[in-house]
Amino acid sequence: MTAGAWLELIASGLITGGVYALVALGLNLQYGLMRILNIAHGEFLMVGAFLTWMATTQFGISPLLMIPVAFALLMGAGLAVHRLVFRRLTRTSPNLDVFEARGLMVSFGLMFLVQNFAQLLWGGDLRGYDFLTEPVAIGSAQFAANKLLLLALALAFSAALIVTLKKTLYGKGVRALMQSPTGAQLVGIDTERLHPLMFGVGLGLSGVAGCLLSMTYTISPSMGEPYTVTALIVITLGGFGSMSGALVGGLALGVIEAVGMHFTSPSLKSLLSYGIFIAVLLWRPNGLFARK
Amino acid sequence: MNGHPLLEARGVTVRFGGLTAVDQVSAAFAPGELVGIIGPNGAGKTTFFNALSGVIEPSEGELFALGQRLTGAKPHRFAQQGIARTFQTPRVFAELSVAANIDFGLQFAGRHRQASWLLKDETSILNLIGLAAQAALPAAAITPSQQRLLEIGMALATRPKLLLLDEVAAGLTESEIESMAQLIRRLRDDLDLSVIWIEHAVTTLLRHVERVLVLHQGRKIADGTPAEVVRNAEVVEAYLGDEMVDVA
Amino acid sequence: MNTKRDLLVLFALAGWALAVPHYGSEFAVSMALTCLMYATLSSSWSLFCGSTRYLSLATSAFFGIGAYCSALSLEQLGWLGAIGLGAAIAAAVAVVMGAAVLHLRGTYFAVLTFGMTELIRHAITTWEKQVTGTVGRVLTVVPERDTVYLTVLGLAVLAILASILVRRSRFGLAMAGIGADEQRAQTLGVNTRLVKISGFALTAAFAGAVGAAMSVRWTYIDPATVFNPFIGFQTVLIALIGGAATLWGPLLAAVVFSLLAETLRLQLPQLYMMTLGLLLILSVLYLPGGLASLRRETFTMWRDDIRSGWRELRAGKAKKVPA
Repeated sequence: MTAGAWLELIASGLITGGVYALVALGLNLQYGLMRILNIAHGEFLMVGAFLTWMATTQFGISPLLMIPVAFALLMGAGLAVHRLVFRRLTRTSPNLDVFEARGLMVSFGLMFLVQNFAQLLWGGDLRGYDFLTEPVAIGSAQFAANKLLLLALALAFSAALIVTLKKTLYGKGVRALMQSPTGAQLVGIDTERLHPLMFGVGLGLSGVAGCLLSMTYTISPSMGEPYTVTALIVITLGGFGSMSGALVGGLALGVIEAVGMHFTSPSLKSLLSYGIFIAVLLWRPNGLFARK
Repeated sequence: MNGHPLLEARGVTVRFGGLTAVDQVSAAFAPGELVGIIGPNGAGKTTFFNALSGVIEPSEGELFALGQRLTGAKPHRFAQQGIARTFQTPRVFAELSVAANIDFGLQFAGRHRQASWLLKDETSILNLIGLAAQAALPAAAITPSQQRLLEIGMALATRPKLLLLDEVAAGLTESEIESMAQLIRRLRDDLDLSVIWIEHAVTTLLRHVERVLVLHQGRKIADGTPAEVVRNAEVVEAYLGDEMVDVA
Repeated sequence: MNTKRDLLVLFALAGWALAVPHYGSEFAVSMALTCLMYATLSSSWSLFCGSTRYLSLATSAFFGIGAYCSALSLEQLGWLGAIGLGAAIAAAVAVVMGAAVLHLRGTYFAVLTFGMTELIRHAITTWEKQVTGTVGRVLTVVPERDTVYLTVLGLAVLAILASILVRRSRFGLAMAGIGADEQRAQTLGVNTRLVKISGFALTAAFAGAVGAAMSVRWTYIDPATVFNPFIGFQTVLIALIGGAATLWGPLLAAVVFSLLAETLRLQLPQLYMMTLGLLLILSVLYLPGGLASLRRETFTMWRDDIRSGWRELRAGKAKKVPA
């Protein structure tokens, strides 16, 4: 294979991986901070994608403009969901294990609800639109402009989140909470406000991912589930609760899939992903990068 | 008895990542002994208990029950060998009745084990620990100190030869602690049990036990009679302070 | 726990269900069959997952395995043989899966069983594509509708009977102990690994048997149909909404959902699914014990909850303290 072909292959892996990372970061924020394993995460990605599609095709609004709008709308949805549903669970669950189990079941129900609501509204067909489809040449490789934009923005958002968490006071509070909930509360960090906010941010990120995806690929109401599953695989690889692990894991998984698909066959992609997933969960339940 | 100690720990070490919670602790326990384990917070006492009951596998070292190697075995095998334990915070089955909680141990580890008539069935055990009146109540509905007693009853239901009691007197009043100590004494005397007792109420403990182990930062720093231990310079420095010398 | 009463109720229900093929329309029989299928799946799921609180999402895997066993062996082994094989192989797979996975905590376990189910589905699809060239199987020799109905009815009765008996046994007590406090149960002498693997295998055997029986309803089966994750999702939903730790909850919910499914699904399948999702959320939030745990006290509890909620809301509006 030529260098150019390798570059294209790895780059396409990074592009899908960038989206994986973005979705995984949101899921990780929710699980690492609040122990909510939101199986419906991908559905909100799908909602972001459809909102953008609707805005672009029916109102002529540029998808780029929809990025912050999608974030805001989905973040609002996240705040509402947390307030209506998860807050009650926090109050009524006798211990952490029961809370986790109930959170899982509730997000299960959410998945059914949101996916089918979308199908009711928008029908089951594939939708899409064209945006920045002109090819761009880098070296001897060719890429669609929208895919490059996708990668750039995905990386930018991921980096922004990680930096915010590391540098700002707020972010440090979140990380403190993730490491030691009681300790953080003793120091005065307000869980009551932080949890819904971070849940919202998580959903907002998946909305942005959906918006970005709609620019490049076709969308359908059932597109969310595979992304949830992939996000799960990513945070397992990178370690539950580790932000940079989710970023690296997402990119890595994208590349592994691209290379794997190229050298074997596309239908083995799922087999490969699930195989890795199960292997990691069995061998290192805390993730590949977790500190012991 | 076949000449082996009831329970023996040889060089047991437990590590969590970089932290060594229990460091090369060796001790042998004979039938009918009443042994206390004391030490400052974080000394590794509960972790040591976890190793002795099979809940945690030691990173190094061996465990033997009556000569049989139990290192790495699952907790149910320890229970089947007659090693029972209570937990620091009572872990009762909240939705079952008090009687059903006791019955649980009788159905499993205690099922095929020989024991004194005092441990014949739930009623006898309930009478022994003084919870006969609460038998039909759900375990969640009794008071915390009653739950402590239930913890002990559940452990007794496995018809053990050795009972590991983890801070059963925590949070009790002076008189309650004294009656708990009396109960433990009685269990040892009437049931021919070996009892190993972790406690913070050091004064009471030292009055009732015949032998004391002192743990400090995971290591065993003393093992002898209460009188010997309170005079041990290292123990005094680490833990007891000068006032304790008069106790024994 | 009143064994005699439970057995009588089971007997009565079974007798009633037996009458359906004789007096009911084609539609009624079809609905009853779906109901019985989910009753079996959710009752056997609850048997293990309800008491141990290990949420398994592997039902579709076992169902599909049973279906394929039946499709492949029906001619050689006959009807009952095919069902038995489906149950046996599903149980064997469960033992392997369980041995690898059951030492992990609740959420990990749920996610892993889902992953393994999808892995099996993709593995079989890939196998069929690469090795045999065709995807799916056609069933040529198919028993009559009434035979299938009676078999599934028998499985449903067996599943509930098993639940009744297990609840009264040491095995059931061990599982309840595992669900309440696994480590405590271990220190009291329960061999949790053995109990969990056995319970999981039992649940799988039923799912495999049902899959084997139902496969003949579709004369053509392929991985997408019989390994469809929704079979597993619906089983879990029904069991949870009905009350996973109760005896009659899963059956009750299965009946409710069959009615809902037949009325809604054909016209508005999305509405049916949305209702399922909404009901699950509501039941986890407000009725964690499921429909079967509904009592008079529950209603008073809800009324008090609503009242205190209103009071909070009004107090909050009056104060309006800036954060």
